[in-house]
Formats: sequence, structure tokens, C-alpha cells
Amino acid sequence: MPRAARSRAVRRTALCLAAVLGLTGTLATACGSSSSGSGGPVSIRFVWWGNADRAKATNDAVAAFEKANPSITVHTEYASYDAYFEKLATQVAGGASPDLIQLDRATLGEYQQKGVLLPLDSYTGKTLHTSGLSPLLLASGRISGSQYAIPGGQTTQMLVYDKTLWSRAGVTPPANGWTWAQFATMSEAVGKATGIPGSTDFGWAIDWFEVYLAEHGKHLYTSDGKLGFTADDLAAFWNLTATICSADGLSKPTATTKMDGSTANSALVTKQAASEINYDSNLTGYLSSYNGGTLAEAPLPSDNATVSGLAAMPPVSFAVSKRSAHPDAAIKLLDFLTNDPGAGAILGTTRGMPPNLSIRASVCANATSSTKAVCSYEDSVKSIVGPSFGNWPTGSAAIKRDFQQIYDDVIFGRTSVSAAAARVVGDAQQTLSQP
Amino acid sequence: MTSPATLRAAGASDNEPGAANPSRGRRAGGRRPRSSRRRGEGRAAWLLLTPWTAGALLLTIGPAAVSLYLSFTDYNLFDPPHWIGLRNYTAMFTRDPRYWDAVRVTARYVVLVVPIKLALALAVALLLNRKRRGQGFYRSAFYAPSLLGASVAVALVWRALFSTGGTVDHLLSDIGIHTGGWIDQPQYALYTLVLLGAWQFGAPMVIFLAGLKQIPGDLYEAAAIDGAGPIRRFWSVTVPMLSPVLLFNLVLETIHAFQAFTGAFIVSSGRGGPGDSTLFYTLYLYQRGFTDFRMGYASAMAWVLLLALGALTLVLFGTARRWVFYAGQERA
Repeated sequence: MPRAARSRAVRRTALCLAAVLGLTGTLATACGSSSSGSGGPVSIRFVWWGNADRAKATNDAVAAFEKANPSITVHTEYASYDAYFEKLATQVAGGASPDLIQLDRATLGEYQQKGVLLPLDSYTGKTLHTSGLSPLLLASGRISGSQYAIPGGQTTQMLVYDKTLWSRAGVTPPANGWTWAQFATMSEAVGKATGIPGSTDFGWAIDWFEVYLAEHGKHLYTSDGKLGFTADDLAAFWNLTATICSADGLSKPTATTKMDGSTANSALVTKQAASEINYDSNLTGYLSSYNGGTLAEAPLPSDNATVSGLAAMPPVSFAVSKRSAHPDAAIKLLDFLTNDPGAGAILGTTRGMPPNLSIRASVCANATSSTKAVCSYEDSVKSIVGPSFGNWPTGSAAIKRDFQQIYDDVIFGRTSVSAAAARVVGDAQQTLSQP
Repeated sequence: MTSPATLRAAGASDNEPGAANPSRGRRAGGRRPRSSRRRGEGRAAWLLLTPWTAGALLLTIGPAAVSLYLSFTDYNLFDPPHWIGLRNYTAMFTRDPRYWDAVRVTARYVVLVVPIKLALALAVALLLNRKRRGQGFYRSAFYAPSLLGASVAVALVWRALFSTGGTVDHLLSDIGIHTGGWIDQPQYALYTLVLLGAWQFGAPMVIFLAGLKQIPGDLYEAAAIDGAGPIRRFWSVTVPMLSPVLLFNLVLETIHAFQAFTGAFIVSSGRGGPGDSTLFYTLYLYQRGFTDFRMGYASAMAWVLLLALGALTLVLFGTARRWVFYAGQERA
């Protein structure tokens, strides 16, 4: 069918041209043809996002893999989160997808739905071993009955606080089972005693609203990808932060607006708050960049005696491209990263707690200061952590951004909580209903 | 296509009225080689233009045409685009409050930055137009921000200067003004970007300077003899004589300002915040295309911007008849 082939080629050229419009830099990779060698030495591409620590550890682990498998060459690439996904989308659209891809909760479902990912069921238990992984965590990579991804680690929400500042206010360090009312009283007390608000305003991130919803028996998204909350739910959450904020218990708007989950822009690290909610995979970052106080960790408050709201989440997952020319080699690398004790020791907690339980035990047993803190926090909340909240649907990245932008309007007094909550819900429903 | 008749006509034209008959005869004999040489030159010209033509077709015209097509589709980069007619456009105009936020922010930015930048450029050009020692140094020094200003590095410096606890915050606090970081507050954030934009006045300044050099000195002398002071000379000689250059700068800077991106992207970490206060049109377009993967929507936005800029440029040229003065032309 030369005609069909030609029209396909034309379409492909057109897509490449479209990509050129915005991303001239990636033209070479987007439009380059992927070589498919048969037999003999094989080369695959492995990509991820993350900081320099993660890159160093991952490259070291890949080097160990290449040493053990001399016939496989692995080309690695990494970037920051946003740049990574812009590049990945263009590469996948141009037919030059990497073989092993790092994804997260917001993107896994989207890529699976687009038919980009290889189902791993025919490999699991044979060349890809999953028996050492926690079943709860492994389930996060299952979509409509098939295993599409392997979690690259485990993380849980935490409150990290400056012990010195909190004790100066004379409040008891928070422990399992504390409530939002106690949190409010303590934050305000810290603010009054030290002049530094007790905590970072946590209304900015949809992630923490997700915890709040879980405590009330709800989810951000239903399993069929619809919105799982109402404007009233969100208004209740933002009224909670507004109340604590007005009593100087939470960080000022100028600090809150900068939050993006990184330690560089953290209100806690810049001394504009005495505590902060984040995932514990960031704890090592806090410990290395915080000066002048001792940090400690606590679970998030909950008004529900039986549900803590905490969940065991994969900070990242690994998936294999359906168009990979060498899926066996990619699976081999994935298995090595997940189950090899040597690789586990090199990777440490750069993607949260190792997913393989025996490797986790040995990494934690040999842990030094900051890795040890992650291990001991995870250990202290082990009994109250629930399963992962599940993957987010297509469009969740836009919804997350919208959520934070509209909250900015709330904290700067440009709109009311109820109007803002209604706008988030309206925008989100529109985003989710896009074809 | 060229017939001998037209060639003869061209040869017989009175381009060279002084040409004598013998020479005309000689030229008639050399006609054919000359015309084939001209055709050869034409071919060479096309050959030499090939890189540029290929570049324009492949990198500008082709992608622009594809983006026009994509603007009528729903395209997420993964699946083939599918035709949805005008739905991107109607969604943009009727159901996207953030789109209008972006339009408002951009319009405010343009209205603020273009006059400030042009006024600065003209003022500095007037200063530098005087004969003075070290003039070359001053010109380079004032031009430097234009070379640096659009870079990521300077935008990062801007963020550091105007953030809470940054240099500006400290200096203002020292004299008793407690505003906090300007980029962290929706009511000030846009002004820091206006400042960043206006600071890059080097390019229009150089063009103004060239325009000032073109104004004949005797006009000023005549005006001075007639008793016109410096201010009168500025309004009655400099401004009218410079008005074509002013129009050129105005059009160019307006288009430029509508397309501002880097500063907002870096200063707000790609978000356009706080609270959409720095959400430039191009930044929102970028978010739609490359964060949300809605390339069809982003393409539609790009085409609306292109059409709006075209219309605005036409309007500016339309008003030009009233205020632009070309030397040698009678003023109505």
C-alpha cells in the first residue's frame, strides 16, 4: 500500500513540523529514526526527571548494569520535571520513544490510555520479578487489570517541623492521631511565641487536599476519571486554612505563592514557617538545606479516628515503551534497578524508600543520618498508612496548576473561598470532559 | 518565455539616450549573450537563496500552515489530530476565564511598557546625540541591557532582586517602606516585568540615534535664529523629523511587547503567578501546548495573536497619516 504509507509519512512529517514550531531543539531526536539492531550488542534509552543526586545514583546503577550485561548499552537522559515531560511527549509523538520511561501518578494513566506503554504481564514472574515488592505499592502500577508500571520507590505524606521553634511555644510534639483542631491551636501558638507562623499554608497543593478528602472518605478523582469532590468539600478545606491563617498560624501569602514542593522555594527552609507538609522523599533535601534548628517528622493530622489520610505512594514508576525495539533489554534493566541488592544500595532513597522490601530493609539497616530519618519516619507510621490513592486522569496536571493559581487569588484577597472553590470545580470538570 | 520582441524592446528603450548608432549596433550583436547571462544570474540567485528559502518554507511557512490546520483540531501529540472545527476558538472566547486573564495582563503590559521604553530610548538618544568625549563608551553601555535583558540569566537576577528578602525589599525596608517582595504580590508583580522590559531600550535607542543624525543641522540653526528655545526646537524640529522613525519603533516595540515571554516565564517559574498577575498571552499559550498537551488549542491561540497583531499594526499605520511627517512632503 504505497499510498497509505505515503500519507502516513506525510502525516508524520506534519507532526514533526508542528513539533519544530515550539521545540526546535528536540527536532533531531523527534524526527530521527530509531535504529533497530538485530542480535549482537543492543542499545536502549532510559530517561527520568530529578535532581543531580538522583542522576548520579542512577547513572552509577546503570553502569553496574552494563558491567553485568556487556551486550547491552544504556543511554541515559534526565531533566527537570516540566522539561522532561515536554521532551518526552515530543519524542513519543515523533516515534522516537525512549525504551524505559519514568512516569508519575499524574502521567501514568495518560500514557497508558494513549497506548504508549507495554503491558508487563507476560514478563512478571519470569524476567521481571515482583514478589519482593509490597503488594499495596505494586497495585499502583495496575491499570484495568494489567500491570503497566513498576513503582520506583515508596513515599508518604509527612509534616516536617522545627522542633526547637515548636518547643519554644510549649506545645507537645504532634503524634499519631492528632486532629486538625490541635494542629490549628499549636500553629497559632508557635506563631505567637516565635513570630514565625507555625506552618506553611498547605492550601496551595491539591496533593494535601487529597489527604483531607481521604480523611472524609472521598477521592480527588473517581476510578473512571471523573471529579470526586464538590465545591463544598474544597470550600471546607480552604476555610480551614483561612481560619488558621487569620490567626497568624500559617505562612504569609508572599511565601505561600512561591511553594512548588522544592526545598529551594520552601517557606520552612526560608524561615517563613516553622513546619511544612510534603512527601517524605523530600526529607533528605530538607535535612541538608535547613539551618539553625532541629527538624523532626510527624504524620498529618486527621479528624477521622480510623483513617489517617496517609498513603503509600510511588513517587515515580517505571514503564516500558510499546514501540521499544528491545523490550527484553529494557525489562532486564528494570528488573535490575528494582531487585538487585547492589543497585538498591547505590540508589538508596533517591526515589523514596526502595520498593523491594528486602532491599529496603538492608538500605535502612545501613542508613546514615538523613536516609535513616526517612526510614524511621516510615517505620513510625507503618501501621496507619493506607494504600496509594491511585493514578490521576488525563488533564490532572492542568487541574493541579489551576488549583494553585486560584488559591493565590484567595490568599491575596482577590476572591472569596466559595467563589474560588466553585471556579476550581467548574474548570476541572471542563478539563476532564475534553475528548 | 522571453520573446525576441520584448528583448528588442528592452534593448531599444531610451535608458541610455546618449547612445550612438554604432554602439547600438554593437550592443544588438551582444544581446543574446547578455540576456542568457541575466537568466544565468537569475538561476544563481535562486540557487544562493535556496538555504534561506528552504529555511523559510520548512521552519516558518510550513509549520505555520500546519499550526493553522491544527488550530481546528483536537491534538494531544500522541493521537492523530481530529477535526473539531471552530471549537477551540469558541472555547477560548466563551468558556476560558484564564484566557481573558491572559489577554488583560498582556494588554496592560503592552500599554505600560511601550510608551515607557520609547520615552527612555528617545531621552537617552537625545543625550547621546551631543558631541562629547567617550560617546562610544556611553552608547555601548546603554545598549548592553538590550543584549543581556532578554536572557534567562538577567531574568533570574530580576527574580533575586525583587523577591521577598531580596535586594530591593531590603533597601526599601531600610528607608521605612515595607512592601515585601514585589514579584510575590499580584498588585506589583507585573511592574517588575514592565521595568525589565523598559530597561531593554537599547535597540529603539540606536534607531532613534540614527534618525537624529539624519536631521539636517541647518533646520536647528534656522530655528535658533528665529528665536526658538531648546524645547520649541524639540517639538517643532526633532519630533516631526523623527516621526517616521518613531512610527517604526512604535510598531516594532508593540509587536515585541505582545510576544514577551522569557521574563514572565523565569520570574514566575513558568506559572504566570502570583494569581495569574503575570500570565502573559504567550506564557498561557505555552502552558496549554506543552504542559497540558493541547496543541490544537495552543495553535488557535497563536493564530488569534497573529491576527490581532496584524490588525493592530494596520491601525497604527492608519493613524500614521495624521502624525508621521516625511521630509520633502507637504504638510496638510
